Formats: sequence, C-alpha cells, structure tokens
Amino acid sequence: MHMATDQSDVLRGTLDLLILKTLTLEPMHGWGISARIQQFSKGILDVNQGSLYPALQRLEQKGWITSRWQTTENNRRAKYYDLTASGRRAVGAETANWRLYVKAVELILDIS
Amino acid sequence: MSMLHAARARLRALFRRSAGDLELGEEIRFHIELETEKNLRLGMSATEARRLAVAHFGGVQRVREEHGDVRRPRWLADFATDARFTLRAIRRAPALASTAVVTLALGIAANVAIFSAVNAVILRPLPFPSPDRLMMIGEDNSEKRWHMNVDAPANYLDWRAGVSDFADAAAYTDGLGRALLTVRGETQVLTASTVTGSFFQTLGVRAALGRTFHDEETWQSAARVAVLSDRAWRERFGGDTSIVGTSVTLFGRPTQIVGVMPPGFAFPDAAVDVWLPTAWNPASRDSTFFRRAHWLRVVARLRPGASVPHADAQLQTVVNRLKGEYPATNRYMGATMVPLQDFLIGDSRLPLLVLLTSVAFLLLIACANVGNLLLVQAAGRERETALRLALGAGRSRLVRQALAESAVLATMGGALGLALGWAGTRWLVRLQPKGMLRVTDFGVDPAVLVYVVAISVASALLFGVGPALWMRRRDPAASLRDGGRGAARGRQARRWANTLVVGEVALALMLTVGAGLLVRSLLQLSRVDAGFDPTGVLAVELAPLGPDYRSPAKVQAFMTELVARARAIPGVSSAATTQGLPLTGNFYTSDYVAAGRPADGYGTEVAHLIVSPEYFATMKVPVLRGRAFTADDRSDGAPVVLINDVLARSYFAGQDPVGQRIAFDKAPTPTTVWYTILGVVRGERSESMDRAPRAAVYESSVQAASQLSYLLLRTRGSTASLAPSMRAMVHDLEPATVIFSVQTLDTVRDASLARAHFITMLLLAFAGIGLVLSVVGVYGVLAHATRERTREMGIRIALGARSGQVRWMVVRQGLRLTTGGLVIGAAIALIGNRAIARLLYGVAPNDPATLAAVVLLLALTGAAASWLPAVRASRSDPAVALRAD
Repeated sequence: MHMATDQSDVLRGTLDLLILKTLTLEPMHGWGISARIQQFSKGILDVNQGSLYPALQRLEQKGWITSRWQTTENNRRAKYYDLTASGRRAVGAETANWRLYVKAVELILDIS
Repeated sequence: MSMLHAARARLRALFRRSAGDLELGEEIRFHIELETEKNLRLGMSATEARRLAVAHFGGVQRVREEHGDVRRPRWLADFATDARFTLRAIRRAPALASTAVVTLALGIAANVAIFSAVNAVILRPLPFPSPDRLMMIGEDNSEKRWHMNVDAPANYLDWRAGVSDFADAAAYTDGLGRALLTVRGETQVLTASTVTGSFFQTLGVRAALGRTFHDEETWQSAARVAVLSDRAWRERFGGDTSIVGTSVTLFGRPTQIVGVMPPGFAFPDAAVDVWLPTAWNPASRDSTFFRRAHWLRVVARLRPGASVPHADAQLQTVVNRLKGEYPATNRYMGATMVPLQDFLIGDSRLPLLVLLTSVAFLLLIACANVGNLLLVQAAGRERETALRLALGAGRSRLVRQALAESAVLATMGGALGLALGWAGTRWLVRLQPKGMLRVTDFGVDPAVLVYVVAISVASALLFGVGPALWMRRRDPAASLRDGGRGAARGRQARRWANTLVVGEVALALMLTVGAGLLVRSLLQLSRVDAGFDPTGVLAVELAPLGPDYRSPAKVQAFMTELVARARAIPGVSSAATTQGLPLTGNFYTSDYVAAGRPADGYGTEVAHLIVSPEYFATMKVPVLRGRAFTADDRSDGAPVVLINDVLARSYFAGQDPVGQRIAFDKAPTPTTVWYTILGVVRGERSESMDRAPRAAVYESSVQAASQLSYLLLRTRGSTASLAPSMRAMVHDLEPATVIFSVQTLDTVRDASLARAHFITMLLLAFAGIGLVLSVVGVYGVLAHATRERTREMGIRIALGARSGQVRWMVVRQGLRLTTGGLVIGAAIALIGNRAIARLLYGVAPNDPATLAAVVLLLALTGAAASWLPAVRASRSDPAVALRAD
C-alpha cells in the first residue's frame, strides 16, 4: 500500500516547484518525474498522479517547460518534459519564495 | 513570449481537443505501464500490480477532466456547461421555457418588422452614387404660404444655370402620368414619368441597355424618345434586347426606345414603366406661363467638395436676383434646399418612429415577463443554489450561469423572432398604404440582422440581470435554514419582481393610450362629412383617343354624349364628369380678384375644379345660393363659375357673391377673362379626409374642356355589377376610348384614410399584445406570491379569516401593483403623447376620455388577473398548508 498517502497531498504551488526542480537534472517523462520526487524525498512525498499531469500541462502553458514525444531506452514512446530558459529562471525565483515561506512558517511555529 | 505561448497552447487545445485527449491517453497508459512494471519488480502478481497502478493513478477520468479544464479557457467551458444545463432545464420544464421564448419572439418579431421598414425608408441610403450630395429644391412663397412646393420650369432653369456648386440639376413632373402604348392595334396603358434630359445624369445612373436621355432632350425636337423600366421591358416587350433603337407607338406617334434602366432603378416611383423627356417648346422659355405654373420637382447634385450652406447661399443669390427681375411672379418666391432622402422620407418619419417606439415598449414588456419567469425559477432553485454556494461554488460562477440561461433563451427567442419578423415584414409590405414605405420589398439585410442580435443581447441582459443579482446576493446559510421556502425569497427579489410588473403595466398603458388616441382619431375621421356622398358612386377614368379628339369641341361633344348615354344605363340615377376626384388633391390653384376691389384686394390659392353641369346633383353637393350650371351655360356664352362656401365666407364676407365677377389674376389687365359667379355650393374636401375644405371655384366642363376625365355614375343598386354595361356603353360610343381605372368613391374615401387606418391597426395590435403580456405578468407575480404564502393563508383561514377577506387581500396586492404602473404610465403618456399630436385628428393628445377609458380597462384587467390567484389562496386548506414543509 501507499505508505506516504497522507503526506502526499502537496500544495499545488509546491508541486510545480518540485517538478521544475526535478527537471533541472535532465528531461524526463511523467512517471520518471513522480519516481524521482518519491526517491529524492526518501519516500515521504508521493505525488498524486492525478495532479501531476494537470500540473505539467499548466507549466507548459506558462511556457516554463516544453514537451516532445521521444523513444525511451527500452524503445517505447513517451512524452518527455524539459525546462525552458524562463523555466530555469523560474526555479530560482520559486525556490527563493519557498525558502522565505518555510522560514516564515517556522518563525510562527517557534512561538512558544 | 510566454503569454503568447500560453495563448497558442490554449487555442490549440480548444480546437484540437480530441487530438489532445489521444495524447493524454497515451501518456497515462505509458505511466500506468511503468508503474505496473515497478510493482512487478516489488514482487506483486500481474493483476495486483496492474490494479494498484491504476488505483494509485487516482481515476483516469478525473485526470482527463482536470486536464481538459487546464487546456480550455475556463469561462468558455463553463458557458458550454451552463448552456447544456439550461437546455436540460428547458427539457425538464418546457412550458416555462417555451412561454419565455414565445413571449420574447413576439417582441423581437414586431421589432424586426418595424425596424426593417425604418431601415428601408430612413436608414438605408438612396441607391444612387454619393446619395448624400443629392438635394431636393422646393419653392417657398410667403404670400401663398408655400414650403417645399413644386417648382416653375423657368425658375428651375435659372437655378440650374446660376448655381455653380451644382454639378448638375434635373426636374421631373410631380406625380405620375400615363402613356398609351399601341401594340398591333391594341392600346395598353403605361405609367409614365416626365423628366428633363439631365435627369439620369444628375442621379448618376446609367441605362442597362442603350442610353438614357441627353440634355438637349429637355427641349422639343423632331425625334420622340423614351426609356423603359426593367419591369416594363420584361412584361411588355418580353425582355427583348433588340428593342433598343426600335420605334414603338406611344400616344399614337412613333417613339424610339433609346434605353432600358437596370432592375433596381425606381425613381421617382416604383410604378414607373416609362420615362419620357419633357420636350418643352423652346418658345415657352420666356413666357409668363413658364414662371407662373408650378408642377416640377427639382433634384440637384452638389459638386464634390461643395458644402450645403455654400450651395444654398448661391441658390439664394439666384432667387433674390429673380425676385428683382420678375416681380410679377417671383416677388414672394423663395427656395429651400433639403437632402433628397429627407424629402422622400417626408411624413413617413413620424408614423415609423411612433411604431418603432411602440415595438420597443412591447419588447420591454416581453423582457419584464421573461425576467419574472426566470426570477420565479431562480427562487424555485433556491435550495440547490444555496447548496452550491455552501460547497464553494463561486458567486460569479452562479451569476454567469444565470446569464448563460438568459443567453440561451434570448438566442432561441431571437431566432424565432427573426423568422416571425421576416414573415411580418412581408405582411407589412403587402398591407402598407400605397407609397407610405416607398419600397416594394424590404428583405432582411445586414443592418436588420445586427439589430436583431443587438436587441436579443440587450433583452438577455435586461431579463437576466434580476436572477443574476439574486444569485449574487444569496446568503447560503439563510437559504438552507429556511429550506428554500417562502420567507427566504428575499425582499430584494420581490421588489425586483414588483418593479418589473409596475414597469410593464406602465408601458402597456402608454401603448394602449397611444392606440386609443389613434382609434378615436380614426373614428372621428371616418365620421367626417367629406362634403359629398360617396356611397353608390362609380368613378371611371377614361379618355377618348385618336386624331379626332385633338380639338376641345370634339372632346366636349364626346363627354356630353357620354353623360347622356350613361344616364340611360339601367340602375344609374345620375351621371356627370369631373376632371379630378375629390380627396385626391387633383386640382390646380391660382390667384383671384373680384371686380371692383382695390389693387391689393386679391386673394391667393383658390382651387380650380372642372366639372360637368350634373356634377352637384350626382355628388349630392348642395347648392346654397344662386344656381348650378345648366345646359344654357354654353361654351360660346359668357364665362361662369360657382364658388364654394369657404371662398364665399372668406373673400366675400358680408356680401352676396352671386352675380359678382371674378378673375384669376392678381391685377386684372384688359385681356383678363371675367367669370360671373352663378352660385355658392357647400365645400367638399378636395385634398384628403383630414383637410378641411379649401377655397375653390368650379368651372363648367362645357366651357373648359379637358381630355382626361372621370365619368361619375350614381347608382341605385350595386355599383360593381354596373361595370360591364358601362364598359359596353363606352366602347359602343367610341371604340378608341381607353378606360384607365374603375373604382367606387367609397374606395377613394377609404384610400384617403388608408394611412391612418394602417398605423392605427398596427398600434392597436401592439397595444393588444402588450396588454395581454402585462396581464400575464401581473397574474404570474401574484400567482407566485400567493403560492409562497399558502402557509400564511392557511394559518389565516385556520384562525377564522373568511375566504372573502383572503381573496380581497390578494386582489388588493394586484391592484396596488397595477395602480403603481397606471399612475406612472399615465403621467408619462400625458407628456409623451404630444409627440403623436400630428397623427391625430379631432382628438387632443391628452384627451381625458381616452386616458380614463384606458386606465379603467387596465385596472379591470389587473383585477381580473389577480382573481384566479385570489380564489386559489382563499381555498387554501389550513391542514395541508400547515403540514406542508
């Protein structure tokens, strides 16, 4: 079963950031992105697949990522997503935003 | 950049949804395959691995839908959903929707028909090149009180020569004439317009075949020429292209057809079959007659770049010069220049604008009704709405849904209205009084389509705004608490519904008062004594043809014999001839002076009517003093006239006119012909039913013969059955007689009322529809209100209220609504109806009797509309009402 179901309901903005960050490594297909996120978060974050594809679509519409059909190493057709230049810039900005947000939340949680 | 990218992606997605769906399907399949493989690697069975992969994905369909949402513009997708939802709702409650659609279609149809007429007559430019540069010039005369009157040929020629701002100018005879065409010995009657040689060039139209007239053809020459209309060419000459250049027999003389006009050309009238050149005698140019007789309409085309004020200044310079040069004829002569189109619209403008206003009212009433229907529906969906709000639906989303509903209804109403309106337009064209709308066919053109779309959208907003606001203002908690019952129907919604009803009652009142005034006016008009008795009189327009009838004496002998033989026809009690029929404005006017008056003792504008001695007996026009003509007043005897009582009262006040001598000049000269006044007859209405008799003299046809005449037959029995024996008699007397028309004088009288009749009937129809709609509106609101108060009524009855009291409560509410509308409507009608004063005859625009009658009528219908809901309320069963929740 899914160990991480409870934690996996990541906020939409967060999901966008996670996808972008993952794609900084290399172009990837949808399943690969979700697998990477799960792997990097050591299994804590299990991306809801139902939100992954709409998120990819959204990011593509923003012009931050592009997609193209490509053949995998196992010789199967898959849709690969890649960062655009503005997408790369967005990763930086979004990461800074996220750090600020986390810090702010921590400050509040630290109130004793 | 990225915005553009996004827009492109959305656009692509919108148009290629199925392609996108396919791609997504493949992507999902791939994802699930990989997930399944991963699960297999974890040691699961094949089916378990697959099941978990799918489950983990979280519902393929949902992803698809969310995906679709992202790809398609949200509002468009929503609108499509709302439209589908509405169509479903319509299928569920077809009665409500079809009421709304039909109501709306009625309002829109009336608008389409009337707007088509307004568009064709007022808005659409004339079908000539640069129509805005075409001007109509009419003569003014301060002494004769003329404005935009017909012009004298010499004046026209001087204007044309003297105004350099005119690129060209042309004149044509006011009114239509007749041309007699002889084909293989048989005579056909054509409708002719007589025009100067510059006519077609000034308008800027070319012939479809051959040529139009040359400028020189204004003047007489050996060659007789004619131009055919497209219709006459097809109907009379079988569309034979070789007709151009050949000779036909017109008025018994060889005439060359030089050209055929294109199909659309219909100036000055759609009835014209043939245009003939004026062919004036050059010798007339300097005669007094050419400056004194007025029968032309003058059209001028401004040079490119010439301004209207500048051209008018030039025209006035010429006019002033002529005043000095020809004081006898031109001392008081002025000229006015107006755009041709304005002149042609003439007195059709006011009736059309009145009709347009009334159909606008009608549409507003229809919108109010549909608005109320939707409000009732929205209130019925209260609980659903509240639930949706509570579950997080955006308010603006709900507003949009309400508007989408209106849009769907408006679209259906607009489409149906357009179809009905198109039929109505054809009906209008068919029933219009001759010449009122000046066109034979409206068609539905782009302007009409734009208008339909505009009024449909406006209506949708108008009746959609109530339910939309209703959605915005809802407090979900309150709605859910009351469970969507009576009390929850907010004060705001009720106030809006009441406002709509008050408004539509006010509009219906205004419409009905307008129609009422026109009906009264028409009744007054049809009761008017025309001065003669039209019943049982047949009027036959005829002329003897052939070279024998060029001398007045011959014509005279023919007419005398005609009357004698006509009287011998069984069933005819008396017969006479006249040059023109009363009520048709068929006469000419002149100055006049009685013998022995001082130099300034002349009068102007007396009408001349030429009749045979039996005219007064045949028409039953009483001779008040002196005597009528007799056979003794011969053509070689002393000239005699009769005058009517209008002239007797105005010019001969305090004197006995009988026996006095009168001449038709301002200042008598030695050559002036003096007429002895034989008697005074009662005035006839010579122009139309709504114009009082004007000063007139009657000349005897024995002394002033004319070729074209009407034979009048007063019959004892049926007038129609007389026609064959009359025709036989005429052709027996002279085989070469042409009978142009046969009509009863009642028809002539009705034709004079046709325009008033037409407008009145249309307005009455609109008022009737408006009244029915507003009654339905009052009924609808009260029915809904009482339904909501069923419980309250039940309690009241349980507590001992008598059913009469309950009924009165509901009726009182209805009366309160109606009264509000009536007060507002009456106030506006009192002021607004001044606009139609010019359409009224013998009724003041604020006629209290009409207003009172209409107010009473509407109050009664309002009470009637509330009666049914009242009765229903009084029958509320307390037990049922209290249990119902």
